[in-house]
Amino acid sequence: MLSLKWPIQVYLMELRKIITYRADFWVNFFGQTFFSIVISYFLWDAVFSANNTDQMNGFTLEKLVLYYLIAPIMFRIQQGETIGAISREIYEGSLNKFLIYPINFYIYKITTFFSHSTFYFFQLCLMVFGFQLFFYDPEIYQFNLLDFFLFTILIGISSLCYFAMNSVTEFIAFWADNIWSLGVITRFLTRFFGGVLIPLTFFPEWAMTVLKFTPFPYIVNFPIQVFFGNYEIEMFIKSLMALIAWTVIFFFISRILWKKGLYSYSGVGI
Amino acid sequence: MIEVKGLHKTFKVHEKEPGFMGSVKSLFSREYVEKKALQDVNLTIDNGEIIGLIGSNGAGKTTLTKILSGIIHPTSGSVSVLGYTPWDRKDIYRRQMSLIMGQKAQLWWDLPALDSFLLLKEIYQIPDKQYKDSIEFLADSLMIKDQLKVQVRKLSLGERMKVELMAALLHRPKVVFLDEPTIGLDLMAQKAVREFVKNYRQEFQPIMILTSHYMEDIEELCKRVVIIQEGRFIFDGQLENIKSNYATSKLIKATSLETDKFESLKKSLPDHLGRLSYENDTIQLHSPRGSVMEAASYLLNNIKVLDLNINEEEIGEIIEKIMREGKVNA
Repeated sequence: MLSLKWPIQVYLMELRKIITYRADFWVNFFGQTFFSIVISYFLWDAVFSANNTDQMNGFTLEKLVLYYLIAPIMFRIQQGETIGAISREIYEGSLNKFLIYPINFYIYKITTFFSHSTFYFFQLCLMVFGFQLFFYDPEIYQFNLLDFFLFTILIGISSLCYFAMNSVTEFIAFWADNIWSLGVITRFLTRFFGGVLIPLTFFPEWAMTVLKFTPFPYIVNFPIQVFFGNYEIEMFIKSLMALIAWTVIFFFISRILWKKGLYSYSGVGI
Repeated sequence: MIEVKGLHKTFKVHEKEPGFMGSVKSLFSREYVEKKALQDVNLTIDNGEIIGLIGSNGAGKTTLTKILSGIIHPTSGSVSVLGYTPWDRKDIYRRQMSLIMGQKAQLWWDLPALDSFLLLKEIYQIPDKQYKDSIEFLADSLMIKDQLKVQVRKLSLGERMKVELMAALLHRPKVVFLDEPTIGLDLMAQKAVREFVKNYRQEFQPIMILTSHYMEDIEELCKRVVIIQEGRFIFDGQLENIKSNYATSKLIKATSLETDKFESLKKSLPDHLGRLSYENDTIQLHSPRGSVMEAASYLLNNIKVLDLNINEEEIGEIIEKIMREGKVNA
């Protein structure tokens, strides 16, 4: 039977590790928030002015600025640790210790992944709270406890999905010397086709149809829509099913790569 | 008990030509060579026994250790450690085994050692009392109590090795693989680690495989040694047997103030008396066992000797000779 004691200990230990670098945490938080607001505001203000309109694809300028605050921080929750958190263990040989300890590597990595996500989630809650406190405007965003609860659940599932998808690329390190570029590409594709860089309502209809067959909109756009309350129950269930299906598929592929990869693993050095 | 039969391990290694053009070429086509890290290795180690695994860099010591600890799969052959196949990675086996790699940190760098120990307590499901007793015993033996709350990255190399040893032995494993535990340590720290391993063995009697380049480690801790060269065992037996079988000469050390005569003495020394070298005021003469007395007399008759010692050849030199000659013995 799986003991939950060690994953809890790993989770707490990783949190302690993050807190050790608390300066980085706060600089990262305020830096990201500040730049997101400034850049998105000036960029989209110019776009709105050029089009001589105060609404585009369902967004006002203010709502777009809020979107650019929420979307990146939500994606940070989903991406958990940095690129290479798994592949580095493989080509630097630190995977050895996980093979020696009587633990499941997946559970260990998912736990550290979620401890990083917890911190970003804390940042997101701070932002929502700050917005409610200082810039409350129901036209832009109306806090709803049920939506926020569903959003939180979805973030959990979509984070698992992203972890599984990312582990597929990371495990390629069993055969390739360096998979950094692959990690960057995966991240970029998810950001772009998931709607972190540009909301998906700005994409043409045909692109949206194609994207429905990829995991990206379910990982990023779906939880954001729920956050803003833009969903219907039928769409919610369909998207949730698709998200779960993609999660299972990626875990399945990842598991195969893990098992095959361990046969090729040299533990670095002879 | 550890039983290894007909073990082979071959790695496929990518070879790249040097220079920029070599890098460009490797983008389009790569050449691979096969490196035989282990060839037909057979080994049996009894419960409670410790063996020293000796060999030059790349000889296959670490590969063998990695296979026995379950990190990598062999190409062929069978291994049984405490009745388990290591690379099946069954939890029941991993709870009874430990690996310490001198060149690779296993503790979490950003946290104090005690934090890592708490995690290991849960991973190995160590009962509270055993955990407290182990910490007490290990920290006292290694004299590291004061450093357990310091971030691991801020410890010295010697201190880090000590906490690594603690982490690896908290769960009182029945099999311990020590891969160069004293590498890079100063003489004091090396001695402390050796003393600790000796005491630990007396207390808990685990099976141990010790890999080291330092002969002091091997001589002090192991009665049995295995010499490995290019993936093959060329000697497996008692350390004492190495001396009796391979120590064909003795070492005569003489101190003299007549250093100006050393060079002419070297030239005039009859061949059958051995090989002479000198440094400062000390002469070293490696003399065949049957000619030792004659060689010593020769020195005493030709220069004014202040001090003279006749010793067995150093074990390190004998092993170096065996490795150079690649003698096979079991």
